[in-house]
Amino acid sequence: MSDQKSQWIRHFILAALVVVLIHGLTIWALPRLIMDRIITGGSADLTLERAGGVILPPPTDHNQRRIVMPSPDLLYAVCFFDLSDTPFRVTLETDYPRYWSIALYASTSDNFFVVSDKNVAGGKVDLTVVRSRQAESQVVSPTRRGMLLMRLLINSDPEVRKKAEMARRSLRCGPNFETQDVLFGT
Amino acid sequence: MSVDINTHNRRRQIILLSGLYLLAVALGVGSALLWLTKVGVSGERVGTWRVNLLAGSRDADVYTRARIALGAVLALNRSETLYYTTDHDDNGVTLRAECHYRVEGLPPPARWWSLTAYDADHFLFPNDLKRYSVSSETVRLDNEGRFSATIGAPTNSSQSDASWIPTSRSGVIHLTLRLYSASEAVQHAPGLLATPSIRRVGACQ
Repeated sequence: MSDQKSQWIRHFILAALVVVLIHGLTIWALPRLIMDRIITGGSADLTLERAGGVILPPPTDHNQRRIVMPSPDLLYAVCFFDLSDTPFRVTLETDYPRYWSIALYASTSDNFFVVSDKNVAGGKVDLTVVRSRQAESQVVSPTRRGMLLMRLLINSDPEVRKKAEMARRSLRCGPNFETQDVLFGT
Repeated sequence: MSVDINTHNRRRQIILLSGLYLLAVALGVGSALLWLTKVGVSGERVGTWRVNLLAGSRDADVYTRARIALGAVLALNRSETLYYTTDHDDNGVTLRAECHYRVEGLPPPARWWSLTAYDADHFLFPNDLKRYSVSSETVRLDNEGRFSATIGAPTNSSQSDASWIPTSRSGVIHLTLRLYSASEAVQHAPGLLATPSIRRVGACQ
């Protein structure tokens, strides 16, 4: 076999390995890239209403084309976190009588924590998200960056929508703020 | 002269090798996207529907995680919500917005449920009524306790029919049935849910 021929065979074997490697890398990277786009894009979007560190998107309709499969029956609230320097604290106090939940997502897209109205006494949430647990009550995030998504079940009744709006505006998220900040909504 | 031939051959070899490795990269990316969107399917089959028990879960394998990220990113885990999805009718034919479909069945045992229609890109179909779903709050049950919804392009009668989910007039339809706080029995065995039937009504446009 000539040198040139054996060299080409080596290149074809190497190219086949590249196909396998890139295939695996694409599958691995895709959720991370999609989440990065959501986190980076959402953090930078100044057109969305914000209050108390929380992004308050308008009620979902067909104009929402950022995140696939939006639910038109839910009102959302969003926070992004970065645990590089400080833990991330989340508080909520609501008597919203319908379904609501707070879900935390890692930058790999995994839903690593969820709390909802059915398992919260008195509608009060106070949790701290950390990278490594120092207290039992803390929630450990598998990744440094991530996001919080609050869902509130709504319908076309204006009264229900008003209550849902009040509920999501009682959500506070951000670097480990003080309780007073929460009470006075800074 | 021989130097020129060597230089030419080396250039030719470099071009061919570059092409080979570029092709390898394209094949790697292409095969991954093809596998995620067309070939590989994940989740348990329930009639014409599929339910993915690993949606949002940390136990999801890399393919499931990537597939969920592409088609249903930010899904909740199964203890909170179960997502049944389909883009086929009961006969296995792809759901098309050129046709009308009747979705019928028993209300799923859950605290709250909804049926939503999405376009090919998994976004809501534009419509002036801003009606995108039917839910346990909006459907009417017949004497046998069954619900029914119609999915398809708007007609004269669809405006006043609250059980009608309007679509565009062409393209693929994806349906998602969400069960919030499903019953314990369904959470443990989602494959046993009596999923709604999907039948085409009339001729397609």
